[in-house]
Amino acid sequence: MNTKKYLKYSHKTLAWILFIWIILFEFILPSNNFLPKPSIVLLSFTALVKDYHLFRNISITISEIYLSMFVAYYVSKIFFQYLGSFNFFLDAADSIYKFFKFLPVIIPGIFLIFWIPNSNYTGFIFAFLISLTAISAAIKEESLKVKHEYVDSAISLGAKKNIIARDVIWNGIQPNLLDFIFQFHYFLWLSLLLFEFINGGFGIGAIYKSALQYRDLSSLFSISVIVGIIIFLGFLVLKYLRRKFFHWSNI
Amino acid sequence: MSNLTSKLEVKNITKYFHGLAGSKICALENVSLEINSSDSKGSINSILSKPGAGKTVLLKIISAIEKPTSGEIFIEGEKYSRPDGRIVFIPESPSSFPWMNVKENISFGFKSKKNNFDDTGEKLEKLISLAGLEGYENYHPQEKNSGFRFRISLARALAAEPKIILIDNSLRTFSNETKKELYELLRSVKLKMDVGFILATTNINETIELSDKIFLMQKNHGKIFRQIIVEEFKKDHLSEDENYTLRMEIEKAFNLHEEFHDIS
Repeated sequence: MNTKKYLKYSHKTLAWILFIWIILFEFILPSNNFLPKPSIVLLSFTALVKDYHLFRNISITISEIYLSMFVAYYVSKIFFQYLGSFNFFLDAADSIYKFFKFLPVIIPGIFLIFWIPNSNYTGFIFAFLISLTAISAAIKEESLKVKHEYVDSAISLGAKKNIIARDVIWNGIQPNLLDFIFQFHYFLWLSLLLFEFINGGFGIGAIYKSALQYRDLSSLFSISVIVGIIIFLGFLVLKYLRRKFFHWSNI
Repeated sequence: MSNLTSKLEVKNITKYFHGLAGSKICALENVSLEINSSDSKGSINSILSKPGAGKTVLLKIISAIEKPTSGEIFIEGEKYSRPDGRIVFIPESPSSFPWMNVKENISFGFKSKKNNFDDTGEKLEKLISLAGLEGYENYHPQEKNSGFRFRISLARALAAEPKIILIDNSLRTFSNETKKELYELLRSVKLKMDVGFILATTNINETIELSDKIFLMQKNHGKIFRQIIVEEFKKDHLSEDENYTLRMEIEKAFNLHEEFHDIS
């Protein structure tokens, strides 16, 4: 689905949900333990900023997610371009990635919390390690699928292996790699929120933990809306990047 | 020792592939062909066969992309076993890079050969003009039709200053109009540059239209069973009668090998 259609359907769905929520919980069921009153949710944003340090925690989570993906992408790129498309690093990442298909990634996250407690950087390390493993494994998988005509032509022109890796295979995998990152982005949010929830201290996951402890339904709801909006914007940015910089069709 | 007068000599190439359950599949067996210096300087040679005879495998082996099980390739008397741009392969499917524009695609040919970049500006302009890509320098291959992509692949191949360009059935899917334009392009490159073409094709008309020399390849194990020098059938341009005689000669040769009916 293209971005315009995607936005159109999202807007429609959101508008309906909002309408039903306002009618149901503002006027018909104002007092319940299921969803908060819309007017209280609006008021709870102030509490989120003041009591839950909303801006600080949001900045931490956002930077952990997007910075870790960005750094992981460039680290993988350096390894790929200097060591060639089939190197030990990518093989190792691929093996680890396959291993974690059978073990939830939060488990090594728990160990990380145990090994490095009370650190500001644990969340970033966790997000970076997941991103690096997943992106490197995707690079390895996608590089096997590059149209062999591109590689054959480059070989016959006398191009060296590193030039083929850098100028042909790397570019050839970009559309599919961006599509992978597009999907992975959601998975990383999920994992990091869980990690922060368990770790406590910083990030949006920590806000959830506190709000749950105080049984603060309106804050739980407000922060969920904010997370939804941020993830949605993240999708839009990634879609834009895919369309703008990797305009060619898939390999 | 190879014949030093040969521009390209393909000597007893045999290629086996591993099949299922450890079986061996023979794609090529003792295939030999030769293009002499005078032939390949601005010449177009065709390998004609029906589909699946092993033309692509042979071209990949000639360009050293694939290793043969046995046999050798010589270019100007020198063994050619590692691709270095002297023999360039243009695959059947479009191979111009969609992430690069026309200029960047052609420059990749220079870059691969480590040519001096300061020296490539004028050459680049010449190749763009020769390939009929003027005015489209900043276009990407996917912005135009497949004929446009073929022109880019050809210009990129020429940038590597090859002795031989191998074209693998690339013209097959084009419309008649595009084909005619590309035939003209190949003829003009043949006249202007010191490069020999080897076209792998299943199309008799294309072969007759373009070739100076035709190698007929049999379906089984890719043996070259006959070579025809087109000049022997014509004086200047191939007249209709000469064209007919040549076509008959090719069909007769394939008939003898009981393969004629599958040739398009």
